[in-house]
Amino acid sequence: MENKNAHSKPESELEEKDNSRRNFLKQSAFITAVALTPAPAVKAAAMHLDEKIAEAFEKVPVKLEVNGVMHNLSVEPRATLLDILREQIDLTGTKKGCDHGQCGACTVHVDGHRVNSCLTLGVMASGKKITTIEGLAKGEELHPMQEAFLKHDGFQCGYCTPGQIMSAVACIREGHANSETEIREYMSGNICRCGAYPNIVNAIQEVKSGGQIV
Amino acid sequence: MSTINKSMTDNKKQPSSSDGPSRVDGRLKVTGAAKYSAEFAVKGLVYGVLVGSTITKGKIKSIDIKKAEHAPGVLAVITHFNSPKVPGYQVATDPGKPAVKGPVKVFNDDQILYNGQPVALVIADTFERALFAASLVNAQYIAEKHITNLKDNLGKAVATHDDTEYKRGIVDAYKSAPIIVEQEYMLPSEVHNPMELHALIARWDAADKITVWDKTQGVKDTQSNIAKLFHIPVENVQVHSKFVGGAFGSALQVWPHEVAAIIGAKVVKRPVKLVLGRADMFTSVGYRPLTWQKIGIGATAEGRLVGITHHAVGQTSTYEDFAEGPTDISRSLYACPNVNSSNKILGLDVGSPTWMRGPGDATGAFALESALDELSYKLNIDPIELRLKNYAETDPESGKPFSGKNLKDAYKLGAEGIGWKNRKQEAGSVTRDGWLLGYGMSGGVFGADREPATVKATMLADGTLVLQTAVSDIGPGTGTAMVAIASETMGIPAHQIRFDLGDSLYPNAPQQGGSTITSSVGSAVYMACRDLKEKFQQLIGNGGEDKPNYAKILKQHNLTQLQVVTDSKAGAEVDKYAMYSWSVHFVSVLVNPATGVVKLNKVVCVADSGRIISPKTARSQVIGGAVMGIGMALMEEAIFDDRYGRLINNNLADYHVPVSADIPQIEAIFVNKPDININPIGAKGMGEIALIGMAAAVANAVYNATGKRIRNLPITPDKLVDWTALT
Amino acid sequence: MKQFQYLRAATQQSTLDAISKPGTKIIAGGTNLIDLMKRGVTAPDKLVDITHLPLKNITPTKSGLHIGALALNSTVSENGIVVQKFPLLSMALKAGASPQLRNMATVGGNMMQRTRCSYFYDTTMPCNKREPGTGCGAMGGLNRMHAIFGTRDKCIAVHPSDMCVGLAALDATVIIAGKKGERRIPFTEFHRLPGEHPDVDNTLAKDEMIIGVDIPDNNFAKNSYYLKVRDRQSYAFALVSVAAGLDISNGTIRQARLAMGGVAHKPWRLFEAEKFLVGKAVSEDSFKQAAQIAMQGAKAYEYNAFKLKLAPATITEALKHASGLV
Repeated sequence: MENKNAHSKPESELEEKDNSRRNFLKQSAFITAVALTPAPAVKAAAMHLDEKIAEAFEKVPVKLEVNGVMHNLSVEPRATLLDILREQIDLTGTKKGCDHGQCGACTVHVDGHRVNSCLTLGVMASGKKITTIEGLAKGEELHPMQEAFLKHDGFQCGYCTPGQIMSAVACIREGHANSETEIREYMSGNICRCGAYPNIVNAIQEVKSGGQIV
Repeated sequence: MSTINKSMTDNKKQPSSSDGPSRVDGRLKVTGAAKYSAEFAVKGLVYGVLVGSTITKGKIKSIDIKKAEHAPGVLAVITHFNSPKVPGYQVATDPGKPAVKGPVKVFNDDQILYNGQPVALVIADTFERALFAASLVNAQYIAEKHITNLKDNLGKAVATHDDTEYKRGIVDAYKSAPIIVEQEYMLPSEVHNPMELHALIARWDAADKITVWDKTQGVKDTQSNIAKLFHIPVENVQVHSKFVGGAFGSALQVWPHEVAAIIGAKVVKRPVKLVLGRADMFTSVGYRPLTWQKIGIGATAEGRLVGITHHAVGQTSTYEDFAEGPTDISRSLYACPNVNSSNKILGLDVGSPTWMRGPGDATGAFALESALDELSYKLNIDPIELRLKNYAETDPESGKPFSGKNLKDAYKLGAEGIGWKNRKQEAGSVTRDGWLLGYGMSGGVFGADREPATVKATMLADGTLVLQTAVSDIGPGTGTAMVAIASETMGIPAHQIRFDLGDSLYPNAPQQGGSTITSSVGSAVYMACRDLKEKFQQLIGNGGEDKPNYAKILKQHNLTQLQVVTDSKAGAEVDKYAMYSWSVHFVSVLVNPATGVVKLNKVVCVADSGRIISPKTARSQVIGGAVMGIGMALMEEAIFDDRYGRLINNNLADYHVPVSADIPQIEAIFVNKPDININPIGAKGMGEIALIGMAAAVANAVYNATGKRIRNLPITPDKLVDWTALT
Repeated sequence: MKQFQYLRAATQQSTLDAISKPGTKIIAGGTNLIDLMKRGVTAPDKLVDITHLPLKNITPTKSGLHIGALALNSTVSENGIVVQKFPLLSMALKAGASPQLRNMATVGGNMMQRTRCSYFYDTTMPCNKREPGTGCGAMGGLNRMHAIFGTRDKCIAVHPSDMCVGLAALDATVIIAGKKGERRIPFTEFHRLPGEHPDVDNTLAKDEMIIGVDIPDNNFAKNSYYLKVRDRQSYAFALVSVAAGLDISNGTIRQARLAMGGVAHKPWRLFEAEKFLVGKAVSEDSFKQAAQIAMQGAKAYEYNAFKLKLAPATITEALKHASGLV
């Protein structure tokens, strides 16, 4: 879902074009070089269409590079990265388990680091590179961690699995997979209610000892 | 009854995590391609968010929906004031008689029966907007005095079902025995908390035709329930449930949120997606009821059981009589001449409980197996020896022979696995690196039922076998086991077999619950394959090969496919035998004597559940049950503030389930002897027994480590520290 | 969640300008703020994203280490200097939250996180911290997780941070920027006790922001330990936690630093116990005595009396670990 109209414009440019903006737009001038005022809002303001201003103002342009694909989106600032992935760009591999940072099912990589996408505002991830479970395999060739999870049955229902795998890959990249105990501690941000933990640990150990680049 | 043979019957070689074929749907799960209920991009989708009541009991006075209706993107706000009536709710009641009990009728009237009960549904064009508008709904109530505390109200408990009371031999015979244990136990309410939130997409395709993508453990049951509720023909209801992100019993019935979404879709004339919040998962889709138990158990000085008395009071709601039956286990686990028991319930102002993994027996096993352990110390007899002294060779309840029981093998295998010989009988006597070390064990049992199931088996021209039945897979790996059975029966490789499930269009299968699927659907798959093979043999005449080339035969006979539809159900064996699966759990724990922290050191679980069809997934199921049992033992507890009738820990930060750091390697051992009397494949269920007994094993190990017996779960550090350092 | 205006700050000055307006909050990692907004506990009109400000640095100073307010919890916990010179901070950080959350949470945000009291989080319950004057749900309620030190009837909530317990023990200084310039306060004076105003967690003024913390050099690196007791082995808040740092010379304690988490409205520094330990020989006995001293003034409620035993036990254990007795 791309929104080609939602380009960001520099604050100064907006200032010149339109002096009749409402207060909420002016306030942003206090922030130097804020560059996130939605163009449709300005346009609507110029036409004195208050309701439309309100509605348009609710959305801001966001550029997300997800699994190497650039998405130019228009989102409400309150939309989380998780909901944007699942509801706007149909990448449902990233799961919602609690929506409060308490289960890890929504784990994705942002600029290479694992984070909870349910507590990440999409607007704050703008301009960053996001990798989800759908971006891990190279075409038909599974990522070694995906292979290892399959081989060691690192799941049952499969719902926490994408988060577990994203976390597991990060766990090795971070250098936190040097012992069973360390893996357990550094995988504790991902809850598996089916209780596949021992198998998950085995899968990570196999990938780690295999020495493949993850 | 013919049986099929399989490798994997060698007790000594137990599977590791990488042994055996991987899951047939595993690739979809590890790539994120598996679609769960809320993940279908249905055209025109809008979002529903429920508003829950903030009082516990009373009536709705008014609901101001104006603000919500005017919020951006809102399409409808539905309450009992404006909701279309669900025809199935409108049962004529006899004014002279008390109202018929049953599930909460969502948006039907002004009654509030529990805190968090849905009072409004907000539908908007995006999730964010629906969620925000829901916060603008302002309901006013007339609150009435509520009761949510079980322990203070035990005296008000009532017997409900005809199966409530049980008596064999002399009542309370234990009291006359020389050695007696008499104790009370509390098992807190536990919440299933599958990782996938309950969710559905509801779409009306016509005035009397609906499609739902729903999280359910039984598509057929959901289908017929929706049809009944909305008075539409069953065939006009389509239920899809391709992947289910865990359930453990929470998706065995149609809950109010499902009805709400269907109502919502009707009102806005668009498909509605409704995903429960995690907090709703604690109140609106059931839980294991808070249960009080009392056990009296008496034995001779030699350790022969004289009598068991087992009483239980479980919590239920005021509007449904749900009883788990926790004391049933005391009737049949041991050979004991005198047993009497009762299962009572107490209706509180809470949402209804429901079946949760190992229902009844998991609750009862905690009490019974804790009491037996306590008895073993009083007798100074090894806990395994005590169990062997009272081993039931025939079913003590019915007197019937067991269809298959190898529990003695299970005790032996588990004891070897854990290193039971290292256990010291004296509690609190072993330390390692400053931590107290203890061993514990406990048994589990669950009925091995077989339900009717039908499988359609089709051999396609290219040699692909397609099996279809309306079962769900909530995680155990049903498809994988079914493909294994078909592969062996038909003599074709697994990759040539497709198992279609999770759709109400397919032939009938039972709900995935009660550890019945492998026995029920597995037998149906076996029989369908056998029928199909026979049909091929008829084509080619007698004397065909054991592994015929099906594609070739079809081509030779100018056929595009060959199909059978086979029904399967239990037979006369049900009357002849008592049928159960058994488990034994062994653990060693480390307890910090200063802080009371308990760490699992080693876990060995043995399952005696007939033939093992799919070693890899079977092992995962046993491990998973053990993990849930560890949670039950050490951390799980839903806590009500009775002043408000509201949970204070309805989230995954405060309601603790085990994380990876809590769980050591768990050894799963299978006795793996086919039960030749139960069904043609010799396999029995293991989903429940994997959990049943685990909590007692942990509690017993904690006692062995510390000398402290915890009878009210969970065993959190506070309960042990009171007795440890600086006292 | 209510709709809000999102502003991205380019400079510290513009941030200070923005937050002086009512209804405006700073967002950095967002791990606590977004959660609170989702639950309706807080509903700002504007969020000022400061993650692009240059406050992520971890830099040695003449007398210690400076850590920028935006340094991530994970980065700090793994930083070479921190691990080598201030292992207590590293241990405390790693005991908190989960790896994912530590990859998002910042030092400043960690200091600003709010209590995890259930009554604070549930907007239908009374809570003087969330809504002054409504009462305290935890008083007379389920207060197993609650405070035993420095409480008033208006609030018995605890501060949930592990990192802050470590920083309190390490004599850190908080650097705060306001419109009038910068000010520095001892870490132990940053958070406050509930008193009559439990809604105020700390001494940061509305128009101020944290820009970093300074940790002075010390001799505790060799003998440090962070012990956290919780209901599960990881990813859970503390029942009780203890940060212990000892400067030991020839078996004698020259200096000690002790702070506790899970027991008070702020990281609870154990000054008296520290004083007692100075000059004492390393022994379990002196640790137990110190623990008893630390418990003076403790007061339990209906469900948290166990902390009166767990807290001294945890102090003793932490000291044993720090000193090498175990």
